[in-house]
Parts: sequence; C-alpha cells; structure tokens
Amino acid sequence: MATPAAAQERPSYGTGGRRSRFRPGWSLMQYGLLTFFLLVFLVPFIWIWSSAFKESREIARDPFGLPATLRWDNLQEAWTTGQFDRYMGNTVIYCAAIVTGVVVLSCMAGYALALLPLPARGPILVVFLLGLMVPFQSVMIPIYYFLQDLNLLGTYWAFIIPGIALRLSFGIFLMRGFFRGLPPELADAARLDGANEWQTFRQVMLPLSVPGIATLVVLQFINTWNAFLMPLVFVQRDELRPVALGTLFFFGRFTADRGLIAAGVTISMLPMIVIFLLLQRRFIEGITAGALKS
Amino acid sequence: MAQLVTQPRSGARYGVGRHWSRYRAGYLFLAPSVILYAMFMIYPFFQSIYLSFTDWNGVGEIGDFVGLQNYREMIRDDLLWQSLGHNAIWVVLGTIGPLILGLALAMLLWRQPKGFTLFRTVYFLPQVLSPVIIAIVWGWVYNPVFGLLNEGLDAIGLETISRGWLGDSSTALYAVLVAAIWAETGFVFVVFLAGLQSVSRDLLEAATLDGANAWQRLKDVTIPQLSNVITVITALLLIGGFSVFDIIFVMTGGGPNHSTEVIATYTYTEAFVQNRAGYSATLSLILTVISLVASVVFIRFRERGAQ
Repeated sequence: MATPAAAQERPSYGTGGRRSRFRPGWSLMQYGLLTFFLLVFLVPFIWIWSSAFKESREIARDPFGLPATLRWDNLQEAWTTGQFDRYMGNTVIYCAAIVTGVVVLSCMAGYALALLPLPARGPILVVFLLGLMVPFQSVMIPIYYFLQDLNLLGTYWAFIIPGIALRLSFGIFLMRGFFRGLPPELADAARLDGANEWQTFRQVMLPLSVPGIATLVVLQFINTWNAFLMPLVFVQRDELRPVALGTLFFFGRFTADRGLIAAGVTISMLPMIVIFLLLQRRFIEGITAGALKS
Repeated sequence: MAQLVTQPRSGARYGVGRHWSRYRAGYLFLAPSVILYAMFMIYPFFQSIYLSFTDWNGVGEIGDFVGLQNYREMIRDDLLWQSLGHNAIWVVLGTIGPLILGLALAMLLWRQPKGFTLFRTVYFLPQVLSPVIIAIVWGWVYNPVFGLLNEGLDAIGLETISRGWLGDSSTALYAVLVAAIWAETGFVFVVFLAGLQSVSRDLLEAATLDGANAWQRLKDVTIPQLSNVITVITALLLIGGFSVFDIIFVMTGGGPNHSTEVIATYTYTEAFVQNRAGYSATLSLILTVISLVASVVFIRFRERGAQ
C-alpha cells in the first residue's frame, strides 16, 4: 500500500547501480536457479552433440554419456551424404540476396516516407503497414502459382523475390522510424551545397543510419537463414534447398541412424552458433530493438 | 534542379510537370518497393480473396465461381473448429509460459551477477536456431525408445508416466507447446532484460524502506514500469501463436489424429496435399482476420497505455 505513495514522492529515475546488501542465502538460491535453467537449455544440445561423436553401438550402450573418444566419422559422412556443402552454399546465396534486397529497398522507401515530399504519404504507409498483419499463409497459394507462371519455381529467385517482398513492410517501418529520428536540417544543408537527392541520401543520411541498418541486417539474416515455410513451399528442387529445409529431408532419410542424424543436426546448427557467439551483442541488441520498435 | 524539392510552391499553375518535379525523388525512391510489394503482396492477397469464392484445385484454369460455398463449408467444418481450439490453447499457454519464465530469468540476471554473459548466451541460444533444429532435438527428447524425457522419468522411478509423448493424442499438443515455450523464452528474456534497465532502482529501494516485501515490489513497482514491454511481447507472441506452423509441422505434422492440428498446418494440408486451393484460401483468410483483430486490439491497448 505504501508503494504508490512512494512512487509519487520519489519520481527520480536514477540509474541505480548500487548493489543491495550482500545476502548469501539469496545469492545461493539465485545461482541454483540460474544453473538449473542453464542445464534446461543446454542439455538437449549437449546430448545431440555428443551423440554426433559416437558410434552407433556406443549410442545404444550408453546413450547419455559423453563420447569415449571423439569420432569424426559421423560428421564426415553426414557432411557428404547430406550434401551439407550444397545446402550451406545455397543458404549463403539466399541470405546475401534477401538481406541486401530488403536493406536497400527498405532504406530507400523508408527515407522517402520519412523525409521526402510525397502526396498521399499516410495512405501509402498504411498499405505497407497492413502487410505486417497479413500472415504468409494468406498469400502463399497465389504467390506459388504466380511464380509458376513466371517460370521461376525451379530457380533461386523463387525464394529470393518473395523473401524480399514479404519483409519490406517490416523493413520500411523500421527504417522510416529511424530516418524520422535524424535531423532533417542535415539533408537541407546538403541540398543547399548542391547535392542532388540521391547524393543527399547516400552520402549524408545513410551513413547516419548505420545502427538502424545493423538491426535490420541482423533480423533479416536470422530470419532468412532459419526460414522454413517459404522455402518449403517455393523451393522445389533438392539442389536449391537452404540448410534448414535440407536438414529436415536429411532427417527424414536417415531416421534410423542416430549417430548420423545427430551429426547432421550438429553441422546444421554450427554456423549460426559460431556467428551468434562472435556477434552476440549485435544479435541481442538487434532482436531487442526490432521487438521494441515494432 | 537539386533545390526544386525545397522550393516553396509558388506559381499558380499546378500541372503534371510541376507535380513530377516536386515529387520525383520521392516516387523514384519508393518505386522499387511499391512494385515488388504490389506484385508479391497486394496482388496475391486479393487473389486469395478471389480464390476463396472458387473451387479451384490448383491445376489449370482457375475453377468455377461457387459463391459462398467455401464459407458455408467452413462453418460446418469440425476440423477447422478443432484446429482453432488448439490455436487458442497454444496462444494462451504459449504466451503466458514465456512471459513468466522470461521475466523470472531477466529478474535473476538484472544486476548482472558473475557469469551474466554465459547465462544470457545459453538462454538465448534456441532463438538463433531454425525451428527445424528445435523440432528435431525435441523430437529426440520425446522419443519413446531412447528419449531423454522417458529415460529421465525411469531414472527417478516414474516409469509409469513415460510414454510416446508425441504419439499420444492426449499429450502431443502440450509436448510440442513445451518445446515452443522453451525456444521462445530466450527472446522474451532479452527483451525484459532491456526493459528492466529503465526500471527505477530508487523506487524499489523506497518501497523496501516502506516495508514492501519482494512480491509487493514485483507486483506494484517493477511490473507497472514494464507494462509497455509486456504489451509489446504479448502482442508479438499472440500474433505468432495464431500463425504457428514450423515447429508443429516438423514435430507431428498436425497428428496424431489431428490432435496438434492448428489453422496454419490445416491450411497447408488443404493447399498442397489435398490440392484444394479454393478452400485453403478461405481458411487462410480466417487466419488473416484473426491476426488483424489481434493487431487492432493490441494497438488500442497501446494507445490507451500511452495516454
């Protein structure tokens, strides 16, 4: 009951940082809980990773122990029979194309909607925003037949083009918000100096929006790398599959061989884990910003 | 040339030429996005609406116009209502679960204790992995023959509970849901962690001095200051929950006996397995309507919160 009063009396939003009194009991319980959840999140992965290094007999005999010796046979076999080299290559192509496309188009359109004179700016924005609320399922059937008519179904474009188009709503919204936060006087100054609109955008405003672009790149990269339903529907040929989809078909083909499956899954998640560990802060900041600004 | 954009609108005549020179830059910047968006979003969306009035089977010429027949069938379609029921369970538990777990983990790491980065990295890890991987890993956990869960239950003497979690109609939905909550918690956790940075510690200390216990501090001081973050997370989880597809499709494919069927898996099956493009389009529009309503309710809430 005393708290609302306290809230009114002390509206100061201090940065805090003061540590409260050391309480060993609490600290012990805190670390107990933290470790418990650490195991909850980690044990399934460790189980898979260690199975990847075991022979089938060893898995059958001791399914949960750590491998006696690290055997790379499973990993090697999974890499070649599972065609993971091809799937990884495809995924890199898809990520490069879709992330670039989304970022370039979203920056241009977001900039126009934020800072350039446009008739009917409001309605245009609303039409793009409505796209955020339309689930992929509502457009996938017509897009599928549209791609078929364009003869694109057996090509990389079948995932790249809709992959860009369906993420524009989010990208434009994010970048427009970012450009609106920049002082428009900067653009005016550049124009007075004789820069045309493209130069103003490219050389003055775009460099200032790097933090926004970083958020967009991170989100689109994770989304594209892990995309499942869109390539499942639009990517028909095995040799064009991205790695998430390839992993599923690999899993379906070798269900009985546990060592091989574990190896395939391990290979499949490895690049993302490495990238995540290297760029952790960017990833977490990107995801947080993406959530809180949308 | 370069200054036309900033030039005040003087002359009396306002023709096409003037219009073009004033807005040219804006149009050109917007054009590629508008073209792509119109071709692959707006046009397909209206095409979906049109298809929902046909009995097209996905092959050849678009089928006959059948009026409201698909919609009538939909209302009588038990499987649809069953799927929507599963969506409802999914949305409620799949929102509350990550909210509570994510907030708890964020509170535990609020003051950045030793090992902060390690804990944060591990909790967040499932978020960067594909749902396919999450689904395969959890499929193993639930495996009736060698799964981690059954072995664990056996080890602590609860072998009577162990079963084929995904093969049993009564547990399959909840088993998949647990995997989804496990995967989603990391996201909610980092957003809460960011939100907690703006929660005033002075207020909390004042509340402590006034004799508020831990639960009262959480309920009356911390959570009210997080209300914006909670609204955002809830909205994202709700909208994601209605259109959930990946993890269910990989783990159970909607089975056994439709016990994990949700509207998205049902739509997929109708479209690409049954080849009923017309009816599937109708189902997908229901999903759109639900998403729209959820978004509008969310925006309302947010506006009310902002006032």
